[in-house]
Amino acid sequence: MMNKKILVVEDEAELNESLVEWLRDGGFEAKGVEDGADAYPTFLEYKPDLVLLDVQLPHVTGVEIAKLIRREYGTPIIMLTAKTEAEDIVAGLEAGADDYVRKPFDHNELMARIKARLRERNVPEKAVLTLGELTIDIAGHEVRKDGQRISLTPLEFNLLQTLVEKPGSVFSREELLVKVWGYQFKHDDKFKPDTRLVNVHVQRLRSKIEADPDTPQFVLTERGVGYKAGSV
Amino acid sequence: MRRIIERLARFFKRSLQARWVASTLVLSAIALVSVGGFLSYSIGSGLFDTRLQQVLKDGERAVVDVQNTFTAASELDPVSLQSMMNTVVPNLENTSASDSRLVALLRSPNQDLNQNLQSPVSLGLDLNLIPEALRTEVRKAGSKLVYKSVALPFNGISHPGLIVGSQVDIPVAGAYELYLVYDLQSAQQTLDFVQSTLVFGGIVMILILGAVSFYVTGRIVRPVKIAASVASELAAQNLEPRIKVVGEDVIADLGRSFNIMADRMQAKIGELSELSRMQQRFVADVSHELRTPLTTIKLSAALLENKVDELSPAAAKNLHKLQGQVSRFEDLLNDLLEISRYDAMTVVPEFEIEDLNGTVGMALANIQVLADSKDCRLVVDIPAGPVEAEFDPRRIDRVLRNLLSNAIEHGAGEPIHVSVGQNENAVAVTIMDHGSGMSPAEVRQVFDRFWRADKARRRTTGGTGLGMSISLADAQIHNGWLQVISKPKRGTMFRLTLPRKQGVSFTQSPLPLNIPEVTK
Repeated sequence: MMNKKILVVEDEAELNESLVEWLRDGGFEAKGVEDGADAYPTFLEYKPDLVLLDVQLPHVTGVEIAKLIRREYGTPIIMLTAKTEAEDIVAGLEAGADDYVRKPFDHNELMARIKARLRERNVPEKAVLTLGELTIDIAGHEVRKDGQRISLTPLEFNLLQTLVEKPGSVFSREELLVKVWGYQFKHDDKFKPDTRLVNVHVQRLRSKIEADPDTPQFVLTERGVGYKAGSV
Repeated sequence: MRRIIERLARFFKRSLQARWVASTLVLSAIALVSVGGFLSYSIGSGLFDTRLQQVLKDGERAVVDVQNTFTAASELDPVSLQSMMNTVVPNLENTSASDSRLVALLRSPNQDLNQNLQSPVSLGLDLNLIPEALRTEVRKAGSKLVYKSVALPFNGISHPGLIVGSQVDIPVAGAYELYLVYDLQSAQQTLDFVQSTLVFGGIVMILILGAVSFYVTGRIVRPVKIAASVASELAAQNLEPRIKVVGEDVIADLGRSFNIMADRMQAKIGELSELSRMQQRFVADVSHELRTPLTTIKLSAALLENKVDELSPAAAKNLHKLQGQVSRFEDLLNDLLEISRYDAMTVVPEFEIEDLNGTVGMALANIQVLADSKDCRLVVDIPAGPVEAEFDPRRIDRVLRNLLSNAIEHGAGEPIHVSVGQNENAVAVTIMDHGSGMSPAEVRQVFDRFWRADKARRRTTGGTGLGMSISLADAQIHNGWLQVISKPKRGTMFRLTLPRKQGVSFTQSPLPLNIPEVTK
């Protein structure tokens, strides 16, 4: 199998270089871009499997690049941010980023997240799941609603698959962060993880598959606990 | 009725102007009544005296005329006398309604002379009006005039009157008394007119005074009112409004000074908030600027770590030192940023209804590794049911971890006791160690920034020296308490108390803050 390709968009040359080197050490193919304006053309040309995207870039910001990519591609995007305020993070997530890490990040944590985003999920015996009028073809990475193909990013697909594989059981946000995003919780974390990440992506998933995202049928909220697949 | 009085009372209590106008009216009414009373009295008595003098002069002339007429009479037969007497009354009387004078010529009683002459009396004069006392006095006074005030009935009302009497000697016929009854109604009318003019003038005066005082107090109160409303606007942190200043008087001075004060205040507040904003941005920028190089350092260390086999043992040791210090630097950066958020008051907690037992359980599970490494037992006493409260779970989790790791660090390997409690309005957690404890002076400093309990001892669990300050701020933003009690050689207990719901106040923590004598 060919090595996965990762595009690193980071304006700090030193960090960019280190990231590329570190990714190569980790067994990936990697390419660095320092200027935000070059990011999208390079993306189109390089066709990476994942993008590491700094939010604060000169010329074109990370949020804009994420939006550009998301218009056509579901390629996983992990944002790197030096900002700590919640609204900056939410803006990145809403632009289409799958995940984010705060600088200075823990490299093991970032590696786990990258791997989670690139992991080919094991195709279960039952390769096609159904939920009401939704048909989820796991091998083909395809979701159809009433026969109509719905385009989901790999992350959204993963999220939906995780929920539907165990119909009726409730997943806490923390659980989903572990299962879908590849988070590793450690005892010395200063903070409980930011579960807004899950909320944002659930909202986005709903807006794609639900007839009315405000009264969802497929992805239900279990108040105070988390989410579960509907029993349609 | 009582409600109306109460409302009126409240209106007076609240309106400065109403009180001023009312007191002006009351005081000027008192002044006018006294002045008017005095005027009315002196005019009245002046009028009476003048009239009395007139009446006496008039009466005297009449008496003299009558006496002379009789004294000069040549024919003294009864018929002539009677006819002379009969002319006295019409000659003297004046019957015009307002200023009438009625006349009576009466024979004095108890005279030896037997006479059959008729005593002429004016038509309409009731002889009962002439009191017996006056008649006696007249007889005693001889030819001198005697007078008396009486009330004259006149068409159902009574007029003030004067009766003047004197003795008249009529030859042959004997002693007679001449009485002249004067009606003083015209003087009374003058007095009435003066009095009603005074009353009317007084009322008009009071109304004018009321209006004037309303206007004047309004003029004075209005700027005060404006100043009060502008001041309350300023107090409500709206720093824009100012008083409009007109003129050069003391009110204008007040307005000008007030405006200057407001300007200075606004400028100062602006300056301070600008400073605080700048400082806040500076801290955020510094932390942002530090983050990227720190990331590069960390990543470079990680790249070295991957090749640790190729490094000499000394280099490897240095690499680990570097990594340890970088991670400490990162913690410090995060804590500094957090403290600066609290200082800048930009912390927005995210309150959720949560089970405190769950949060405590999670924190305990997370700290277990550290406790195990120190061979420290965690003894937990939590209520069976859920302990629901409204708090920010991420912040409370952070507080608990900080308190727990401190307890483990200072607990000397003795068990750590963790309790959760609840009452109607509050929930609480206590974390108690049985370590060396702190002196009262140390306890006072425990929440100070960068203060360390034991400077001599090597730190083993990291920590930035800001943990306690952040925990205290975390508790306070929940409107809760973070308290500590410590006994040297017995240990230290921290108690976190949170309101059950935000906005609900509590006065008592569900758990006691004391360190029992023996708890091992």
